[in-house]
Amino acid sequence: MIQIEIHKKLHGAHGDMDLDVNLEIQKGEFIALMGESGSGKTTLLRVLAGLENAEGDIAVEDVLWLGNRKMLPPQQREIGFIFQDYALFENMNVEENLLFVNDDKALAQRLLQMTELRRLSHRNVKGLSGGQKQRVSLCRAMMKQPKLLLMDEPLSALDPAMRSKLQDEILKLHKTFGTTTIMVSHDADASYYLSDRILVLDHGKIIADGRPQEIFVKTSKEIYTLSR
Amino acid sequence: MQEILNVISLDFAPFILSFKLAAVTTVILFILSLPLAWYLSQSNSRTKPFLEAVTALPIVLPPSVLGFYILVVLSPNSAVGAFFEDLFGVKLVFSFTGLVVASCFYSLPFMVQPLQSGFESLNKHMLEASYLAGKSKLQTVVKVALPNIKPSLITALIITFAHTVGEFGVVLMVGGSIPGETKVASVAIYEMVEVMEYGTAHIYSAFMVLISFIVLLSVYIFNHSQRKIGVL
Amino acid sequence: MKKIVLGMVLSFATLSASEIKIAVAANVSYAIEPLKKAFHMLYPKTNIEVILGSSGKLTAQIKNGAPYELFMSANMKYPEVLYEEKIAVTKPIVYAQGVLAYLSVKPQDFTQGMRLLTEDKIQKIAIANPKTAPYGVAAVEALKNAKVYDTVKEKFVYGESISQTVTYATTAADIGLIAKSSLFSPPMAKFKEGIHWSNVDETLYTPINQGMVILKKAEGNPEVKNFYDFMLSPKAQKILKNFGYKVE
Repeated sequence: MIQIEIHKKLHGAHGDMDLDVNLEIQKGEFIALMGESGSGKTTLLRVLAGLENAEGDIAVEDVLWLGNRKMLPPQQREIGFIFQDYALFENMNVEENLLFVNDDKALAQRLLQMTELRRLSHRNVKGLSGGQKQRVSLCRAMMKQPKLLLMDEPLSALDPAMRSKLQDEILKLHKTFGTTTIMVSHDADASYYLSDRILVLDHGKIIADGRPQEIFVKTSKEIYTLSR
Repeated sequence: MQEILNVISLDFAPFILSFKLAAVTTVILFILSLPLAWYLSQSNSRTKPFLEAVTALPIVLPPSVLGFYILVVLSPNSAVGAFFEDLFGVKLVFSFTGLVVASCFYSLPFMVQPLQSGFESLNKHMLEASYLAGKSKLQTVVKVALPNIKPSLITALIITFAHTVGEFGVVLMVGGSIPGETKVASVAIYEMVEVMEYGTAHIYSAFMVLISFIVLLSVYIFNHSQRKIGVL
Repeated sequence: MKKIVLGMVLSFATLSASEIKIAVAANVSYAIEPLKKAFHMLYPKTNIEVILGSSGKLTAQIKNGAPYELFMSANMKYPEVLYEEKIAVTKPIVYAQGVLAYLSVKPQDFTQGMRLLTEDKIQKIAIANPKTAPYGVAAVEALKNAKVYDTVKEKFVYGESISQTVTYATTAADIGLIAKSSLFSPPMAKFKEGIHWSNVDETLYTPINQGMVILKKAEGNPEVKNFYDFMLSPKAQKILKNFGYKVE
């Protein structure tokens, strides 16, 4: 179980605001984090990853990642992170990108198989298409068998066909490994399809928290605007 | 005595010395500059402009000024020089070691700036992905950052090397022109011109130009071929 | 309009006529200011531009057309070469005799003469490069005559000119063989004879006859001859004597 209670002052394009988040996440949950641009979604993800600091506590299965004035560095958090711009290691090929995280060839090949990238194992990542890169990014994140998988708009740079394919793969991996996941997304369809819980963030505060059906039904108008 | 001097002036020790100095300086300076360049590229602290200005100083300072201060501060008659000599037995002036130290100051910005520039152009997310993969900053620099700035890295190494080969003013001040130890090619050629031994000066100079050109050419060819394969 | 141009040309001509360019060997650099002052008292309208350097370097520059009008060398050989090649228009004449001295920032025992250089505590000996500076030639000669050259030659550091040698002697070298004239400039007053410096035994080296010549480029500039004559006059010779040179 993951317990989060954090506070951080943000200086955004829309002015200053306070990020104030207090929530509990059960193991294996797939959470879609939605909200307008600048509402603090990416910052929340980065704080969870240890890439940014905040005040408060983060406890992951009773291990304190943040708290008591200590911040566990990203190296020591068991996290997989998928960046919007893929952020692959451009000096390495597909397989090397995965092995860099964890030297487990069998696991790497298994993940590549599941995402249909096996034949590209030895291709340098620079030559790949956006969709392929994002899949590599997904595999790379899973190599750590992380306690928490964080995805920052993994689908937004992809065309609709690719988006659909990747959604399936995300779902497949989630079903296979049961990793607790938080996915930041603007895409209402993907959020509904993949998640079992939706959080909506507005000006740094959670204004909605519930199952996909509830959120859409309750605040369909707002969600429709948000997903644009 | 004149015959002795003639014989001495015909050997190739000055060249070997120049290239040896350039090679040693490049290696040492690379090791020293890497942390500085990395720090500057990742930092947003208030002291950053100050550090950058200090690093860039040797570009603007006349070599004779640099040489003069090194002579005074590192001489065995000064506190710093005496300390090094007593503790490590190392002479920092009138010695090859002294030239290496002087060259490191002289060529510092030529190593730091391309590296810093290269690091700054890297995708920050890629570096973060490395941290998230459990890699320390050092591992990240060595395994992710450096391999992705090959052009900047090569530029830094080559320019530092070339700059040190061409060094003159500082060496003249600090070296003492000792044959086989501090009499580098640039000083030897200068001396030949001074005594109007133009024939030898021509030979030496042509040799320098040729060797330097070959080194640079090989590097640029290598650079180009790497680009073709798509590695760079 | 023509008058203005003519006036400008004439005044420009007069301007350049009352300036002389003299090339001066490094060892004279210390005495040159008092010499200039004394000359000015006699010829207040003449500007003197002094170019300093090692005698070898200056000679090379002169041979290659440098615009110097008078050359004061640290030896006779370079002026003689210039006279032979008709670049100098007067026969070289001795204006002073240079003296070699030891100098060290640390107190030394000079009573042993050259033997001092062989001691272990003397690790670096600064001498002028014999190829370019006559004082360097004299130093090497003295060392050889004292039979210590082979023992100490590993310790040499070479100054490109005698003035760089002085820099070395006062900074990083343990001792230097320098031109005595350098010891009489104000910043050197803190060095005491018998403690920091001492004459090198004169019998060890050929007298350093320093020669002066007027150069071809002085043609049409009568002021140069004034300075030439001044240098040989008792007034100038007295100043040189104060700077440690031997004079007639």
